[in-house]
Amino acid sequence: MSEVRFPTREIGSLAKPSWRVKAFAGRRLDDSDIAEAERWGSTLQVEEHEQLVEKLRSGQVGEADLPGIDDWAALYAIRLLEKAGLDVVYDGEQRRTEMYDHVAGFAQGFEPRGTVRSFDNKYYAKAAVVEPPSVNGPQDVEEFEFVRAHTDRAVKVPLTGAYTMEDWSYDEHYSHEGALGGSAERRYEGRRRFVSDVARNVILPNVRGLVEAGAKWIQIDEPAATTKPDEVPLVVEGFNEATKGVEAKKSMHICFSDYTALWPHVLGLEDCLELQLEFANRDSRELGTREEDRPGYAETLKLFKEHGYPNIGLGVIDIHSDFVEPAELVRDRVLFAVDLLGDPARVQLNPDCGLRTRRWDVVYEKLVNMVEGTRLAEHELNRAHAAPAAR
Amino acid sequence: MLTAYAPGIYPRSEALVQATRDLDRGRTTREAVDDQRERDFREFVAAQETAGLTLLSDGSLAWQDLFRPLAERSDGLDARPLTRFLDTNTFYRAVLVEGKARLRDPIPAPDLPIGRWLATLPSPLAFARAAQGAVSAQALAADVLAPQIEAYAQAGCALVVLSDPFLARQGGAGELGDSLAELPDAPPYVLQLPFGDASSVLPELADAPVTAVGVDFYATSLDGVPADYPKELVAGAIDARSSALEDPAEIARFVDALSEKNPAGISLSVNGDLQFVPEPIAREKIGRLGRATTALAEAA
Repeated sequence: MSEVRFPTREIGSLAKPSWRVKAFAGRRLDDSDIAEAERWGSTLQVEEHEQLVEKLRSGQVGEADLPGIDDWAALYAIRLLEKAGLDVVYDGEQRRTEMYDHVAGFAQGFEPRGTVRSFDNKYYAKAAVVEPPSVNGPQDVEEFEFVRAHTDRAVKVPLTGAYTMEDWSYDEHYSHEGALGGSAERRYEGRRRFVSDVARNVILPNVRGLVEAGAKWIQIDEPAATTKPDEVPLVVEGFNEATKGVEAKKSMHICFSDYTALWPHVLGLEDCLELQLEFANRDSRELGTREEDRPGYAETLKLFKEHGYPNIGLGVIDIHSDFVEPAELVRDRVLFAVDLLGDPARVQLNPDCGLRTRRWDVVYEKLVNMVEGTRLAEHELNRAHAAPAAR
Repeated sequence: MLTAYAPGIYPRSEALVQATRDLDRGRTTREAVDDQRERDFREFVAAQETAGLTLLSDGSLAWQDLFRPLAERSDGLDARPLTRFLDTNTFYRAVLVEGKARLRDPIPAPDLPIGRWLATLPSPLAFARAAQGAVSAQALAADVLAPQIEAYAQAGCALVVLSDPFLARQGGAGELGDSLAELPDAPPYVLQLPFGDASSVLPELADAPVTAVGVDFYATSLDGVPADYPKELVAGAIDARSSALEDPAEIARFVDALSEKNPAGISLSVNGDLQFVPEPIAREKIGRLGRATTALAEAA
């Protein structure tokens, strides 16, 4: 058996620095914003960050400077992920508004409709599909090329999935006519056509463009995957159509969902390296590698073991809490997963989801501990493997 | 006469959305938010009046979700864990049971004309399910909902819509019937089944102690309605989850088709809370609900 080594990755978004947010909003930067740019530039050893600090300090940040500000934000994010020790990085989605609006605002066929409540006093923007969605070209190639040019680490590109685009949109095109009193089959068929059009005409062109530009790994994000359990087959169809014929690693990220609804349907995912899932959010913070110590992991990992496909991107960091997981807790989560699955080659490690809701200080500490905990787990496994041979 | 009304939580205007955001960030005062909410309330009432709706709703504009106001105003209950609401991208706070549930402080009645307004409350069974069954539907009906309904009735409430978003998906009509027996005899009740296929529970609800059953006809096929249904059906003919605007003529044709099933009566309504669409769209839908009702009345 070769030595165990778990690759570590992020999932997607990081919070945008205040200087980036205010620059785009046309708001005046204060001393604390500039101090943040200086502190992180120095901490992360961002090359020539003094130029950014000088620009911000000048108070002369106009419309023409915004693309450059985006570049700086992306560079800072790349350096943060690198310095934390991750093997696979991206840019923290610094150039994207958020995962839904990024796509709906670019593709033809969507029109913004307004604000809807998520919970309490939290709201989100929602668009309607008004005609079959399409794009004139790939959306994220420039974004990828910037990342590729500024890191020597492996790169994984996160893209919003077709099913989530469908589920989070109003439908004014596919199944509006005759919906009143209509059949469930008719509604399902309308949703299927919507998913298929987004997959083939919006996401696939982007995926092909990214791969032609050199992307080696495409991650399809489907947080809505199990919102309607009977529609999980549409999630699978959307993934397959969006990545059809593409020569690259392909994976899917799902979070805060009922994972029991995924199988057996996900066995139909074609050439999907892994499902990157959120686990830490539902787990205990106590140390231990017994099943009772790891309530957030056991049930779902058993499904991975039972079905044998795909592999697992194990979420070991809770993204909804400032609690910084000790390295030993990460270690125990990894060891439990490996023990249950019986094969370390099926496991790679990541946070539960994008870390955009956490401050960078917290993010950095969490990721450093994730990497350190990973090394501790590898040490345990390699030592256990080496011990019998030594006798 | 065909009646029409729009129960449930109505969406906040962009101004109220911004005011609540500002309040959370410490940029405005609670009084400023209350003032904007009052303006929203008046505009919603005016929209219903203009549309000619039979009964008026206050839109529950201060409600964060279907269960929270009652939970917060009751001893023994609290509301905390964020929980996905059905298959939507919206969340409610599940009810925590920390002692014997008892309504301490009824929700004030809205400033609406006596005898011309409706109230929306959770059905006892939905309330119990929001508490993961930690308290019985009967106990919630007797000790929380009943005193609230009595307070509303004294303030001139003409109709109580009991919203049950779980029943069509999870069943349990028998348990619901037992809990409804704990409620006051008046005002009349409508059991609304938002965002779900009601066809499987309609037969069981035929004997429930309510005057009408609200059905989401964007999730329920016309074929799912039993012939000669012995209760009035409140047809959810406005889709509160879609930004697409309904054609009043299509609604009228649908009501004609539903009439051929010969239910005890038909009213027109929304298929759930309008808060799932932005306010300008909701306002337009209210107008179309009114126009459909008018068209049907004229045809009759």
